[in-house]
Amino acid sequence: MSIAFESRNINRNKERVLTHLSIKDKKRNEIKIFSGENIDLLLLDVANDKVVDIELEKDSNLSLAVLAKNNINNVEINAKVGRNSHISLFFADFSFGNNKVKVTVDLNEERASCDWHLSSLSAKEDDKEFSIFINHNHPLTFARSDNYGVCKDKARLVFSGTSSIYKGNKKSETYQNAKIMVFDEDSIAVAKPILKIDENDLLASHSAVVGKINDEHLFYLTSRGLNEAQAKELITFGYLKPILIGFNDNNIKNEIENLIEGKM
Amino acid sequence: MALIKINDLHAEVEGKEILKGINLSFETGEVVALLGPNGHGKSTLLNVLMGHPKYKVTEGSIYYNDIDVLSLSIDERARLGLFLAMQNPPEVPGVNNADFLRAAINTRSEKKVSTYQFYKTLDSATKEVKVPFDLATRNLNEGFSGGEKKRNEILQMLLLNPEFVLLDEIDSGLDVDAIQVVSDVINKVKGESKGFLVISHYARLFDLIHPSRAVVMINGRIVLEGDSSLIKRIDENGYEFIRSELGINIEKEETYMNKVSIGSCAVKESIK
Repeated sequence: MSIAFESRNINRNKERVLTHLSIKDKKRNEIKIFSGENIDLLLLDVANDKVVDIELEKDSNLSLAVLAKNNINNVEINAKVGRNSHISLFFADFSFGNNKVKVTVDLNEERASCDWHLSSLSAKEDDKEFSIFINHNHPLTFARSDNYGVCKDKARLVFSGTSSIYKGNKKSETYQNAKIMVFDEDSIAVAKPILKIDENDLLASHSAVVGKINDEHLFYLTSRGLNEAQAKELITFGYLKPILIGFNDNNIKNEIENLIEGKM
Repeated sequence: MALIKINDLHAEVEGKEILKGINLSFETGEVVALLGPNGHGKSTLLNVLMGHPKYKVTEGSIYYNDIDVLSLSIDERARLGLFLAMQNPPEVPGVNNADFLRAAINTRSEKKVSTYQFYKTLDSATKEVKVPFDLATRNLNEGFSGGEKKRNEILQMLLLNPEFVLLDEIDSGLDVDAIQVVSDVINKVKGESKGFLVISHYARLFDLIHPSRAVVMINGRIVLEGDSSLIKRIDENGYEFIRSELGINIEKEETYMNKVSIGSCAVKESIK
């Protein structure tokens, strides 16, 4: 196990520090956030076949933004969230190739919460699969999962989200949302929002939309002079852009915008 | 010289013929009121002019300064100078209004507008349409009120400076003050080099923008033309005189929702 980051190492003079990380060498890597800490991490480089284990002690916050520029096959992110702690995960995937990413969040104590945001663009012959598991292991836990994707050319994109609320974990809330916009007939897009619920006293919802670009939107934009390719690019950009909210670095935001443009 | 010339235009939607032989021409500098009961083809005509893919032209022609409009794509028509202010502008999630406006402006010239020039022009246009600058920074029509959507259409018209403007019920959803603002903008931009074709059900808008001509569409055909006194007559008496004086039977609009009422199942009705 390699320690990728421990919140003890941060500069205490600043309230909130944005730290850039890179995970390329060791197979298993640990990120540990100690009690009372409030951390922003930016993970810009993850190599294939890596595991990232995250632990949040009680009363801590972590915002982890991952930018996948290169192939990220067989990558696992596992997070264990303690009492009254929150993890925000932002995953911007604008890489080429075959990616398989598995994310598991365990909400282990009261008022542990998470929000997961995914934005993925699958083009040419990319084959991408994202599996997100959120386990409500304690009463009064909260989770939200938002997944947005665009699939074009002969690419394949699969979102699979499984949220589990086990018996006795009352007053928990879990929400899932998956949308994939499909551009071409040869594209394959699948959204599987799964709720596994064994408790009555809770709030939960799930939604999945897979469809082509809205004809009225396309007509509206082209009726102002944009050609179809420009209109589609603008709509796609608008669809994937909300992920930028998780990246607190303007240079990275610009880089993401360029990556989307490049892939379109 | 005729800016637009429409000859024997027939168009259908999902196999149902809506336009049944429209003959109309518009000169530069004209503001023409297009009147008619609901469901008789007014919006269809505007959408066909703009090239909406839902409508299929089966016969006839449209020429714009001698250019065959029907052979052009939607964006080519827009760049040629046609502009449709829509009755129900769609909400386009995630697309920033300012990004969209800038992209649309950039389609009009070889040289891209500079950031400074764009925001200066936008600032001036938002003041003219009396909308907060914030409107331009929000997502395109997303969460806009009905009035904001209509003003956003007029904002686009100002920025894109089209030659022939199609206004489809631009006054619906606008309060009295907003109608005044929109009319002021229309009066400011209309001129010898521009044409307007305006649909409205209310004389208030026409009182403010002073159409030079009025045409009435019934059953997918133009049945009557006249000056602004025709607008006044219809506003006061409705369309009944067309049947009694011209002998034209006014077909009733098909209202599918009548099948569904409290106590019936909308889903069952829709799949019958």
